[in-house]
Parts: sequence; C-alpha cells; structure tokens
Amino acid sequence: MKQLVNTFLAIFIVAFALMYLGSWMNKSEGYSGGNTLTIYNWGDYIEPELLKEFQEETGITVIYQTFDSNEAMLTKVEQGGTTFDVVIPSDYAIAKMREEKLLLPLDHSKLSNLGNIDPRFMDLSFDPGNEFSVPYFWGTVGIIYNPGLTEGIDFSSWDSLWDSRLKNKILLVDGAREVMGMALNSLHYSVNDQNEQHLQQALSKLNTLSPNVKAIVGDEIKMLLANEEAAVGIVWSGDASEIMDENDKLDYVVPEEGSNKWFDNMVIPRTAANVEGAHQFINFMLRPDVAAKNADYVGYSSPNLPALALLPEETSGDTRFYPPAELTDRLEVYDNLGKKMLAHYNELFLKFKMHK
Amino acid sequence: MRKQNRFAHLYLVLVFAVLYAPIFYLMYYSFNSGGTMHGFEGFTLDYYREVIQDTRLIIIVINTLVIALLSSSIATLIAIVGALAIQRIRSRRGKNSLLSLNNVLIVSPDVIIGASFLILFTIAGVKLGFVSVLLSHVAFSVPIAVLMILPHLQEMSPTLTDAARDLGASRRDVLTKVILPIIKPGIFSGFFMALTYSLDDFAVTFFVTGNGYSTLSVEIYSRARQGVSLSINALSTMIFLFTILLVVGYYFLTRRKSRPAAVSESVAEVGVPR
Repeated sequence: MKQLVNTFLAIFIVAFALMYLGSWMNKSEGYSGGNTLTIYNWGDYIEPELLKEFQEETGITVIYQTFDSNEAMLTKVEQGGTTFDVVIPSDYAIAKMREEKLLLPLDHSKLSNLGNIDPRFMDLSFDPGNEFSVPYFWGTVGIIYNPGLTEGIDFSSWDSLWDSRLKNKILLVDGAREVMGMALNSLHYSVNDQNEQHLQQALSKLNTLSPNVKAIVGDEIKMLLANEEAAVGIVWSGDASEIMDENDKLDYVVPEEGSNKWFDNMVIPRTAANVEGAHQFINFMLRPDVAAKNADYVGYSSPNLPALALLPEETSGDTRFYPPAELTDRLEVYDNLGKKMLAHYNELFLKFKMHK
Repeated sequence: MRKQNRFAHLYLVLVFAVLYAPIFYLMYYSFNSGGTMHGFEGFTLDYYREVIQDTRLIIIVINTLVIALLSSSIATLIAIVGALAIQRIRSRRGKNSLLSLNNVLIVSPDVIIGASFLILFTIAGVKLGFVSVLLSHVAFSVPIAVLMILPHLQEMSPTLTDAARDLGASRRDVLTKVILPIIKPGIFSGFFMALTYSLDDFAVTFFVTGNGYSTLSVEIYSRARQGVSLSINALSTMIFLFTILLVVGYYFLTRRKSRPAAVSESVAEVGVPR
C-alpha cells in the first residue's frame, strides 16, 4: 500500500514539476498573455522567414497552425473552442463565414498598406467593400499539359479535352466545383449556373469525357504530373507553377471560354483574442517587400501591385500566372451557392465519378 | 531437434529485424546532412541541435509527458474504484453487462470517441486545450486500466478477505492491507498501458487540441504535411533511446529484487504464514 501511494505521489510530483517547467518555458518564450498571435493558414503557404521578421519588428510571438481544406478550417472556427487571430480561407468559405457571422469587420484605418492591392481584386462578390477580408493570393483553374505526350493538341479551349487522342490521359482534381465548373464553361455557361437543365447538360457532357479520364485525385496530382504519369491535368494555377518548377516540360493554359478565378484572403474571426495584433499582421503582409518575398516562396500570384515590380521579370511577366485584365475580367469567382445547391453540385459530381 | 531450434531462432531474428528496421532506418537518417531520407551525404548533428533549440517543440514534448502521466494516474485511480465495484456486483448478468460496456469503449474507434468529445466539449462550453485533452485521455484510459486490474481481483481468493475480517481488520484495513497489495501488479500494468495509450494517441487528441496547445502526435502529423523534416527523426531517436533506457533500468531494478520475495511480500504484510 505504502509503495502504491508513494509511487503515485511521485508521479504526480513529476507531472506537476514538468507542468511548471512547461509554463515557465512558455512565459520565457512569450507564448502567453496578450503578446501572441495565432495564425491559421494552409500548409506551406507562407515564407517562414516572414514570421520571424514580424516577430522581431513587433515583439508579438506568432503561433502558426495549418489546415488542409476550407471545410476543416470552418469546422474548427465554427466550433469556437479555439482562438485564431488571423485565418486565410478561400472566397466561397469567406462568403459562408460572413453569412454565419463568424468574422470581425476590418478597421481600414489600421491597414495603411491596403492601397497596394490591385483594384481589380478589391470589392469582389464574396465580400463587397472588403469589409471583412484582404486578398492574400489569387489564381485560376486551368489545364496543365505535357506537349511531349499530347501530339500537339491545342489546349486553349476546354473542348480540346474531349479529343479522342487523349484516351486515359487526363487527371482531374477532386473538387465538385472545379470539375462541374469546367463542364459548364465548356458549354459556355457560368461556373455558378443554377439552371437544372444546364447542370444536367454539363453532367452528360462530363460523362462523355470519362474514357479520357485516367483518375480523379487529390494533392497527389502534383506528383503524378511532375513524374509524367499522365499527360494532362485540370489544376489550380498555384499547383501548376509548383509542378512546372519540378518539371519544366509542362505548360499551363487558361481556356478561352472562361474559368474560375479564386482568392485566398486574410480575415479575422470573431473569436480572435488579439485583434490589434491581427491588424498589424495583415498590414505587414500587405507591404510590397513582404508580399514579394512571400510570392517568391509560395509561387502563387500576388495581388499586390508594387510587389510585382520587386519580383523577377520572368515571374511577374508570365501571363500564364499574371494574366492580363481582359482575361481576368472574363473569369468568374465562385458564388456561395447555398447548402442545397452545393449538395446538388456534389451529387452530380458523384454521379460522374460513379459513371467513371 | 537442434536443427529445429536453430530455425526458430532464425525466425525470431527475422521478426525482430522487421519490427526494428524502420526505427533504425529513421535513426540512421537523422544524422544525414543531405536533408532528405534518400541518399546519405554526410554525418551531422544539426538536427539534434535544431530540436534542442526549438522551444516550441520541447514545450510540446513536455505537454505530452504531463498529459500522459496525469491522465494515466487519474485513470488508474478511477479504474481501481471501478474494478472493485464491478467485482462486488453479485448478479452475473449485471457484472457481465458492465464488463461488456467497458469492453465496447476499448474497441470503439478512436475517431468516433474523439468526435464525440469535441461535440461534448462544445456543448459544455469547455475551451479546447489542456483541460479538454486531459479529460478525454482520462476517459479513454479508464476502461483499459479496469481491464488490467480486474483479473487480479478475480484471482484473489475470497477467503483472504474473510480471514482478514475474522482477525478483526476494519473495512479500511481489508482494502489497504489485503486487496490493494494483492492487485498491485494489475494496478501498475494498468498504469503503464494507460501511459502508452496516452503517449501515442492521435485520433482522439486531434479533435480536442486547440488554442496553440498541442501534443507530439498531432504536431508531427501537421508538420508531416509539408514533408517530414529530419528534426522529427532526431526527436524520435531521442525519445526511442530514452524509452530503451527506461526499459533497461526497469529490468535491472526487478532483477535486484528476487522474484519470490516480491510475491510473498503482499502475503507477509497481512501476516499469513506461507
């Protein structure tokens, strides 16, 4: 009995000593109190040096956490048990968060660098007046292809994907909005089309694509394309630039019928603990030198105009990733379709997948 | 006969080689200056330095240890009471149904337990962090500890407690001087099982961590999304060596105490001649 009591006492003492040590380390590192900023971002979506730089300039310690889908992020933020100060979701997720009143309005007077953002990317449908969000990166959905494996097919139109020479050569990204949007675009409809007849047309057009589709995959699409396991892929422009970094034989094109343009934006969730610090961080990320450094590391397109001048000419002049205004004007942002319509999109996409 | 014996040895060696190969592979590359897990370029201790300098990682290791120690000891204490209560139930059916309920908790998938805890904590308004992780670890450790303690209780001859009562022992004495010493091995094995469960649990912890509070399994998972850095290898090596040290130390401790004494100790305490 004595041994039992002593052992458990010892265990408790050790545990509390460790706990004390842990909280002491926390304090000495500045991880506690109002001096921290918790950032919730996509994996590998910021230049790590910038976090250190921000820490040195402001004395605010950054706690950096990552998510891998808008849905996972939404769950954690909605749950409310956590306090994230800055979150970086995509356009449709922001519309949803705004609807559910999960966001704090931004104080524009604290964002002196807001003017650096290209006016083309301000005041978009998912957040009129940029009341809640500031653009972080943007991009398009398009076709990446390997000229060596596609016999000179011209991919400037979505219809080229239906070419019989591409049998079993196309990889699709596993996203209902992307694939349905592509089919709707190829029929010259909007990516946000809600007309049932148009949607059914898109589905039957997709079904005729199935012989050409090799697989519908997630993030591994990058690896597969870079290793030339497939000739063609429907991907986001950021992924495309990563793939092309690894394998420079590939090329990327945004078809002329139109496509989706997407935005990842910085927002402050309602549960934020350090609203002042969050504004400081957003303003810091809007600085041209910071935005340029970040864009250089991440490889996505920066919406920051003065930053473009700081980037190497071959990056900022690359019209595949920094397309001219006449193209971007034709591209559409995903609207928040609402729960019911989104479920319908998912269902149609599932039908296509089963057909496959 | 001899030949067969050699074959058995060879088999055993093979099995252990397979079990330990990934760990040694990981340890080997923790010294690779090349920075990747393929192609050994040169020897370096950089990653060990990186781990030691990474305060956040060390805080997370400490968190993990604190949670494991606290949750498994609390769970063991609860499990002792629980096992005693199950043992006391006279009706066979009641006992069996309680035991089955206990077993269901052990075999039910971690993901479901984790999601349920997340929902529970949300409804109860518990902030995600230390408390939520501790509570959920205690909860999933209790059934395991109960299962470790119960057999020892069932093995114990009821005549022992009867004899103690006949000799004038109070209820309390019977518990502290007879029952607990006899089930002591069960209590310790329950504690250690709970400890290992808590140390490597990912699925439940993943749901209930938040606010920058994290444990090692969750942290390594989120780092792995950007490719596992070799500093994780270095950390794993250090933890592995630490465990080996503990096991070796435990081995020598038990070796010193000769086994027969350990068994009779409990009996001696009650004063029953053997």
